[in-house]
Formats: sequence, C-alpha cells, structure tokens
Amino acid sequence: MHWINWAIVGVYLVYVVGDGLRRARGTTNIEGYFLANRNLPWWAVGLSVMATQLSAITLIGTTGQGATDGLRFVQFYFGLPIAMVILGVTLVPFLHGAKIYTAYEFLERRFDAKTRSLTSLLFLLSRGMSCGTIVAAPAVVFSAIFGWDIVWSVALIGVPTVTYTVIGGVQAVTWADVKQMVVIVGALVAIVVVLLFRLPVPLDDALRIAGSAGRLRVFDFSFNLTETYTFWSGIIGGTFLMLSYFGTDQSQVQRYLTAKSVDQARSSLLMSAYWKIPLQALILLVGVLVFLFYHFQAPPLLYNPAHERQLRAADPGAYVALEERYRAAVTEREEFALATSSFRAQGRGPAVDEAALGAYRDREAAVTAIRGEALGAVERVTGQASRDVNFIMPRFVLDHLPLGMAGLFLAAVLAAAMSSIAAELNSLSTATVVDFYKRWARPTGTDAHYLKVSKLATACWGIFACVVATQAATLGSLIEVVNRFGSFFYGSILGVFILAMIGRAKPVGAFLGLIAGMGTVAAVSYFYPQVAFLWHNVIGAVTVVSVGMVLSLPRSPESPAAA
Amino acid sequence: MASPPFRTTLTRVLVIQVITLALLWLLQSRYAS
Repeated sequence: MHWINWAIVGVYLVYVVGDGLRRARGTTNIEGYFLANRNLPWWAVGLSVMATQLSAITLIGTTGQGATDGLRFVQFYFGLPIAMVILGVTLVPFLHGAKIYTAYEFLERRFDAKTRSLTSLLFLLSRGMSCGTIVAAPAVVFSAIFGWDIVWSVALIGVPTVTYTVIGGVQAVTWADVKQMVVIVGALVAIVVVLLFRLPVPLDDALRIAGSAGRLRVFDFSFNLTETYTFWSGIIGGTFLMLSYFGTDQSQVQRYLTAKSVDQARSSLLMSAYWKIPLQALILLVGVLVFLFYHFQAPPLLYNPAHERQLRAADPGAYVALEERYRAAVTEREEFALATSSFRAQGRGPAVDEAALGAYRDREAAVTAIRGEALGAVERVTGQASRDVNFIMPRFVLDHLPLGMAGLFLAAVLAAAMSSIAAELNSLSTATVVDFYKRWARPTGTDAHYLKVSKLATACWGIFACVVATQAATLGSLIEVVNRFGSFFYGSILGVFILAMIGRAKPVGAFLGLIAGMGTVAAVSYFYPQVAFLWHNVIGAVTVVSVGMVLSLPRSPESPAAA
Repeated sequence: MASPPFRTTLTRVLVIQVITLALLWLLQSRYAS
C-alpha cells in the first residue's frame, strides 16, 4: 500500500488516541470513568450507540455479503426501529431513572443478588469472548492481505484501543465513537461515488443487471422458520434480538446511561432507529456496486491472497486450468452484460431485452459455479471454511481505489473495530468492578481505589481480548461454542428484564425462569438445529416470562411475605 | 443541543422507515422482478 495511505491511517490513529488521552483529564471517580457523570449530549450518545453496533466485520463482511448475496440481509434490521421505540417507552426510563451503573444492578433491586450475578456473569462470559472475535475478524483479513503475522495485526487494532479506553474511560470511548462514525460514513459515501463513476454502463442498466442476478431482492415474505433472513424473522425475531441487545446488554445500556436525562437517553436510542436501516442498505449497496464493478474489470478467482497462494502451491496445474476457465467465463459474462445495455440503447424491444438478460444470467451462473469449485478446493486444501466473502471489499479497495482512499477505508475499518472493542472493554470492566468486585469482594472503598481497579480491569480485559484474537485460528471452535452458548441466553435475559417490569413477578420466578429459558433454547438448538437463530430470542424470552409468571403465582413456594 | 420531544422523534422515525422501505420496495419491483 502507498505511503500516503499509511499516513492517513497514522494521522487517524494519533488523533483518536491523542483525543482520548485529552478526555481523560478531570476523571477522578468511577461515575466519571464509567458514566461520564451522566452528562453527555444525546447526539454523541446516539452516534456512540451506532458505532458500537457497527463493527469492522460489518464493513468488510457485510459489503462482501452484498456482493455475493445482494440486499436481503437488510431484513435482519427491520425489527430495530420497533425495538428502539419499545425500549424508549419501557426499559430506558426504568434503567436511567434507577441511577445504576449496570443493567444487572437493576435486577438485584427488583429481584435478588443471584439473578443479578448470574446475568452479569453470562454477559462477561459471552462478551469477553466475542470481544476477542471482534479483534480477530479484521486482524485475520489484514494479515492475509498485507502478509503480516497475526500478532502485528492484533497489535495495530488492540494497542491504540486499549490505551485510550483504559486511560480515558467512557468519555474517550464516546467521543472517539463520534469521530469514528464520521470516518466510517465518509468512507462509504466516497466509495459509492467512485464506484458510480467507474461503471461503464448507465446506472439504470447496471441496476437491471444486478437485479437480474438476484442482488436487488430485498423482501422475502415467506414464513419459513429455517430461513435466516425473511421479512418475518427480521420483524419478529429481529425485534426480540434488538430488544435484548439494546435493552439488556451492558455494552449498549452503558452508552445511554451516560446521557443527561431520560429524554436524552431515549433520543440517543432513536437516532439508531432513524439511521440503521438506511445505513445498512448503503453498506450492502456498496457490495452490490462492487459486484457490478467486477463485471467490467477482471475479478480475482479468490479474493483472499493467502488462499490463492496455498491453492496454487497445492496443485499448480489444476489451479492454472481453473483460472483459465474462470477468465473465459468472466470475459463472456462481461460481453453479455454489455450486450444487455447496448440492446436497450438500440431500443430493440422488451422481448430482446429479456432474452439478453436471460443469456447474461446463464453466464453469471457459470462464473459463480467456477468460483464455487475454487472455494471448495480451498476448504479441502486448508481444512477451513474459506470466508472469501470477507476479502472482496479489502481487495477491491487496495487494487482499484484512487490514492488516499485505501487509507481512508482502512481507517474506517479500524474505526469500526475500535469503536466496538472500546465500548465492550468499558462495559466488561464496569460489570466486573460494579457487579462483582464492589458487590462481593470490597463493598467499601475510596473513589481513587475503585478508579484504579476499573482501569486495571479494562486493561486485563483488553489483554484477554487480544490474546484470544491472536489464538483465533486454534480457538475457532471454542469461540464458536461460546457464541452459540451466547445465543442460548440472549432472549432469556430479555425475558428476565420483562419480568422485572411486571409488578407481580417474584425473584424465584425470575431466576428459575432464566434457567428454564436457556434450557429451552439449548434444547431447540440441539433437537431442531434447522430453526434459524433469530427465533431463539423469541423462544427464550417467551419461555422465561411464561415460567416466571407461573412460578410467581400467589400459591407458588415463595409467598409475598417471604419475598 | 436539547433533544427533540419524544413524539416528534417518533414521527420522524416512522417517516424515515416508511421512505426507506418504499425505496427498497421500488428498487426490488423495478429491477428484481
């Protein structure tokens, strides 16, 4: 990569870390360190909420998904605005008004210490490991693209993030998030503009080609529990998932606990409700435009250069033959794509246009089939899933964008990674110190002591996340297990918070309901693995609320007097 | 900067979602049929 691109990345990193350190001044207590003294403006908190959710894998993986699968993934977010509105009128006033540090603290006030400790522990387990995954995902891509050892890629992402998060606390995290969102959106818009100028056919014709290849299909109204992305799974399952994530996950709850008032906390959440679907559609659209771009510019057979080398080394003759077939198929696809446009320009009529699109579709299917063979070969040779989709965008950026824009995109990927990691480290540290150290180990202490412990906890979680990330290849299956385990209790924790807002619910109902919810989701996941994961959140939440309410009936073992 | 009243924000959220979904629907019905 050209030194100007690296200079842009360097300037970004120095600015973010420097500003984070500047924000650290004046933070003398844990309320300042974890909650910015509950004094941040709604728009900064809102941008922080969005930046936390948007990770590096969104920028590199979701754009790749747009290129290979089109826009339909946007359905996943259809429940988000609904969830934000529901949270704005239900949970946010409870949590913000309770003057708490963690969402789980609220559960002790409402139920008991064991429900708080269990939910907080589940958060620490799943988020601790997922934080490692969030570092690892872009680090693996950087290593493959630039040929670095994974340790250096993890260091590039982890060291600046851990530094400003440890020193600056939530002030640094939030204000860095604001700048990071500006970098991310700026980079995306710039790439869209460049791509539009690079298309050799009118936009209308290009969209007809993309539509013909299935890349512009957004809505799937089939009610199919085994299909991951449908309108209904997005609206129903997505709403439950987003309610769980934004309403009960400390990494998000902590963002809006820093707002000045309940109204400001609500407005910060609704900012995501405004912009998440348009932003996600834009990210996927970038992928669709990259798909179109590679119709008129020779695409690599494999976008991951490391896999390209491995496959070539394993069987050079077979690889060259496959590549030659791919080149021929790509050239033919380009000719037919151009033909669809020129026939329209000549006004040959709808029947000819349709026939041309049909012929183009056959060529596109041939290209996809050959790439499928290559991806299959990668999996045989490396023994791993290829994940080539994550390399489409980085490869396009490095090979085809004008000078400076690759640096801007890399800065945006780092921004996306850093904003998510920083928020998670900050919230992991908060839950560790407030829900465990202060609650069980040392209930009384000076602010200076707790501040020192909080910084130490942030540093420890940062180091843990980086170590997990460097071992991503060997820990792959373990991380998968933890993520799967995480999906068992996400909806269940939401169920406990719903119970917390129901006056008649009792502690025994909440605790046993939580265990029943997790068990039910685990059973569904084991016996009906075909049920798409978005529905797990619905099943978990409904089970917890049902079991919890039954166990809270007046004749249940725990009477009101005992509670 | 004071946050706008909740009802105003809510109305804006609904308007933006309706516009976004309508645009996506138009994109699909024009090009992906």
